[in-house]
Amino acid sequence: MADFGPSSIASYLAVALVLFAAGVLAIGTRRNAIGVLIGIELMLNAAALQFAAYGRFRAEANDVQGQTAAVFVVVAAAAEAAVALALLFAVYRTSRDIDLEQTRELRS
Amino acid sequence: MFWTCCLCAISGAIGAAVVRNLFHASLLLGLSLVGIAGLYLFLEASYLACVQVIVYVGGILVLVMFATLFSSDVMGAVQRTPSWLRVTGITGALLASVVAVRLAAVAIHVAKGLEMTRGAMGRPDAITGGNGTEAIGDLLTGAWFVPFLAAGFLLTLALVAAVATVKRFRRTTEALRG
Repeated sequence: MADFGPSSIASYLAVALVLFAAGVLAIGTRRNAIGVLIGIELMLNAAALQFAAYGRFRAEANDVQGQTAAVFVVVAAAAEAAVALALLFAVYRTSRDIDLEQTRELRS
Repeated sequence: MFWTCCLCAISGAIGAAVVRNLFHASLLLGLSLVGIAGLYLFLEASYLACVQVIVYVGGILVLVMFATLFSSDVMGAVQRTPSWLRVTGITGALLASVVAVRLAAVAIHVAKGLEMTRGAMGRPDAITGGNGTEAIGDLLTGAWFVPFLAAGFLLTLALVAAVATVKRFRRTTEALRG
């Protein structure tokens, strides 16, 4: 059993695990598209945290590859949020509702 | 401090996944994001912490909250905020401000290091006070150059796609009305 603390990788991985689980839970249970988007953001955050943690606890000193990968995750999340919210806006304009179960099509 | 950040991240994430009200969920997502920014500081990734706060809290969270306010009856729900959620919110705000103070302390520390470097070396271009920020820049323009370009391309594409989507549907709805 690893000891938890700021200098142990296990604590960061545990936080990332909880974040990812919360994201999966949000995606599975939410009916609203914004709720699903929040879940996706949580999962991406968990991934970025894992990148940073593994990069920090590698053997080489001053190795920032993990951090760089985490920056790319943040970029992907930003692009995804912009496109998702634009789509959501479009769906809302046509059907006045963003319930995922009710939304059958984008064509009006 | 470390456990405060962990608590922020975990409780915010679980709350964002479970709470029924979307407005509260997005606020709790913000709590989680700030907590993760604090964890990045413990991983000696202050650049990543700044990116997290600027892009996630300043960009994505504002977008999500705008969409929430835009698309649902939030004000009625805010009036009915249960008291336990109010207490959680106040506690979260306090924890987040602790993290913010810590971030500011790191920023001041880095700025002082930068000042010392500049004063001692007399080279205004030398930025050596950051924790790996210089190394990240080297990596992005060196070994990771193609992914870096791809990320820029992705962002441009996302911007164009978002604008095109909204414009196309506006035209459709106008055609339907007229």
